[in-house]
Amino acid sequence: MTQIDLRRDWRRRLRLLPQAVVVYALLAILVIIMLGPYLYIFSSSFKETYTLISIPPQIIPEQLVWDNYTYILSELPFSLWFFNTILVAVLVTVGTVLIDALAAYAFAKKEFWGRDVLFGLMLATIMIPGALLLIPAFLITNWLGLLNSYGGLIIPALANVLGVFLLRQFMQTIPEELEHAARIDGCTDFGVFWRIILPLSAPALATLSIVVFTSQWNNLVWPLVVLNDKDLYTLPLGLALLRSEFQVNYGITSAAAFLSVVPLLIVFLFLQRYFLEGLTVGAVKG
Amino acid sequence: MTTSSRASQTTQGQSGPLWGRAAVRRNLNAYAFILPFMVLFVVFNIGPFFWALWLSLLRGDLVDQVKPFVGVQNYVSLTTDSITLKVFLNSLQYTVSVVPIAVVTALALAFLIGNKLVRFKDFYRAVVFFPLLASAAATAQIWSYILAPRYGVLTYLLGLLGVPEIYWLSDPDWALYGILLVEWWRGIGFHIILFLAAMLGVPEELREAARIDGANAWQVATRVTIPLMRPVILFSVVMGTIWAFQLFDTVFVLTNGGPVHATATIVWYIYNHAFRYGQVGMAAAMGVVLLLIIMPISYVQMKVLGER
Repeated sequence: MTQIDLRRDWRRRLRLLPQAVVVYALLAILVIIMLGPYLYIFSSSFKETYTLISIPPQIIPEQLVWDNYTYILSELPFSLWFFNTILVAVLVTVGTVLIDALAAYAFAKKEFWGRDVLFGLMLATIMIPGALLLIPAFLITNWLGLLNSYGGLIIPALANVLGVFLLRQFMQTIPEELEHAARIDGCTDFGVFWRIILPLSAPALATLSIVVFTSQWNNLVWPLVVLNDKDLYTLPLGLALLRSEFQVNYGITSAAAFLSVVPLLIVFLFLQRYFLEGLTVGAVKG
Repeated sequence: MTTSSRASQTTQGQSGPLWGRAAVRRNLNAYAFILPFMVLFVVFNIGPFFWALWLSLLRGDLVDQVKPFVGVQNYVSLTTDSITLKVFLNSLQYTVSVVPIAVVTALALAFLIGNKLVRFKDFYRAVVFFPLLASAAATAQIWSYILAPRYGVLTYLLGLLGVPEIYWLSDPDWALYGILLVEWWRGIGFHIILFLAAMLGVPEELREAARIDGANAWQVATRVTIPLMRPVILFSVVMGTIWAFQLFDTVFVLTNGGPVHATATIVWYIYNHAFRYGQVGMAAAMGVVLLLIIMPISYVQMKVLGER
């Protein structure tokens, strides 16, 4: 760079400086609005009962105590809720991905009677609001004897239309030649699916896994209607219960809310890409 | 679509006539792959759909074995019930408030993050994604403390600006907006991220050309960039509307429909009538009405998904 270029560049920067100051100030406000609530309940989760209601509110508590955490871990079945949530979310994710992948493979790669009609029907069910299905789905779950059990949480969640849709779309882009080659080598239909299609669909499977896992982790309505037994509660349901039982103890609710969010925050930091991709499937926010 | 039709032609060509033994086997083979999905899909989606339509014509609570047929009585009751009207108005007021607010602020924030001066855009993308990760229940817990009267931090901060104390969740005139604030925070990232992707996809040459023609930044945004983002904005509005009409979790945890039904929504009505008040027929009828509201809007969603 010559002397003149440098000076020009410097001048350009100086000219843009006021704009940059405004832009970054606004961005700082955005960051505070988006992350502030998380940080605030994190700090509040270490507050003592009386500092929780001090005026003005203490952003960073003068005294830090573990009481809220020891309370939810010893006096409440919180660790059990944590375990239940992980168990249900993992099993639903694995089950959904497998079942959806099998169906998506047939819809993407095979010709069969009624294929397009069936697929159109499936797509049409996207328009049905979940609340309408809630009552009969509850009655069927009851009839199957699955109320108040892990099965009742897991089995009704396994058929995910958007998942079939997402995977089918991805599988359609896998070249035919790979399948043919595998068949010539003596692969069965299931072998082709298991050894060729599934590994090649890994990115789409990862996206679907993230979408399903997140929505299960955060699901409130279905556990709410299916479960009675507090020991079977998942985190969102437990949190909702805390609200009604500990209306004013914000230390306890803050600690519980924070602990319930942390696992997803950590997963997000590592698998951001799939979260972003999953967003457009339109299923992350339930 | 093109890939699959080409694929099917080649498979058919290899395995002979459509109705031959080989064809039957090929069909059965394909059905085996979709069987697990279809069984669950029929039992927990298709079945419940038709059952819900039927339930809307019956009267009874969840555990009644025999529910008498009452025809359209439930739908007639919906029109005379004062709670119903309140619930519809709430859902409508909430939707027509939250959707424009979310879309406009998200558009502004997407322009902010998309600004050429901003480095590390991925960082800001992650920041706006964070609220999407929390469950509605956790978000409600977080915000119930922030929105609390007197010692709530938002009340305090607004007080510094001279804003008088607002009872966000206990004042019937404000409660719906308290919910709106929480839901805005929770969902705004979705819109921002969609818009940001669409905006960065608009070719720089088009903007440059407009600038050469003498357009200022505002004109470039409103006459070039935003019109080119229209499909994504439409998708955003559609998804926002679908979610807004189905608002439940946040209301359930924060206000449970109160005070005096100020935050009672359509889905809150369905949940309570089915699982609390023992009026399954009324709940189902309300569900059908919700379906009729949602269907034309999600039809657009389905079309968008179908085109991809």
